[in-house]
Amino acid sequence: MSSVVVVTPLIVAGWPVITAAVTAAIGSLGFSVVKGAEAPATIANTAKTNTRAEVDVEDSEVLQEAASAGSELVVERDGVRVIFSRDLRGALKLCVEGEGHSKAELKRIGEELLGRVTQQYVYHRVVSELQERNMTIVDEQVAADRTVKIRVRNL
Amino acid sequence: MAQEEIEIEIAPNGQVTVRTIGIKGPVCMDYADLFAQIIGREEHREKTAEYYETAEQQVQRHVDVKQRR
Repeated sequence: MSSVVVVTPLIVAGWPVITAAVTAAIGSLGFSVVKGAEAPATIANTAKTNTRAEVDVEDSEVLQEAASAGSELVVERDGVRVIFSRDLRGALKLCVEGEGHSKAELKRIGEELLGRVTQQYVYHRVVSELQERNMTIVDEQVAADRTVKIRVRNL
Repeated sequence: MAQEEIEIEIAPNGQVTVRTIGIKGPVCMDYADLFAQIIGREEHREKTAEYYETAEQQVQRHVDVKQRR
């Protein structure tokens, strides 16, 4: 090997790209999409009785032109709801809520889900860049710990 | 001569590790820079023994990488 670089991803994308990453990521953790932009009223009602945790995604920007003010995506698993939205600063934000869970537990669930969403976002970003530069993916594997490994030639 | 490759690992938490394989000399850093720019913020960089080797094609590869940007 010649060099090793470790990179923390920045999520900079329009709402449709983020929605696609969320949709692709949730299946592996057993979540399913509840509703899109029309969900806020329902969530506000249920939030009164549920524990709620928030996960701010500092390294993110949801592009303004692609996100309407009410853009939200709600996913659910066993009574735990995760609401993806764009906060006032334009960053991605997750609210996790559910009955019978501690705040710390909900935060952990949110962070795990965010990791998978980020993984999906990065995967599609990398693959599209490789295609644009005519680099060839010669091997692609998903390890037992769900790490995605891509080998590239034609440099 | 070893096949020139880039290995990209995307962890379940989203963190990315990019390894250049078989690319001798400082030109490997151009590829590392390229992927760091595409993906996000560089956290750590390590030069391996191969970095310090030389190759005749090194200069040409350097030009190629710059042209692809």
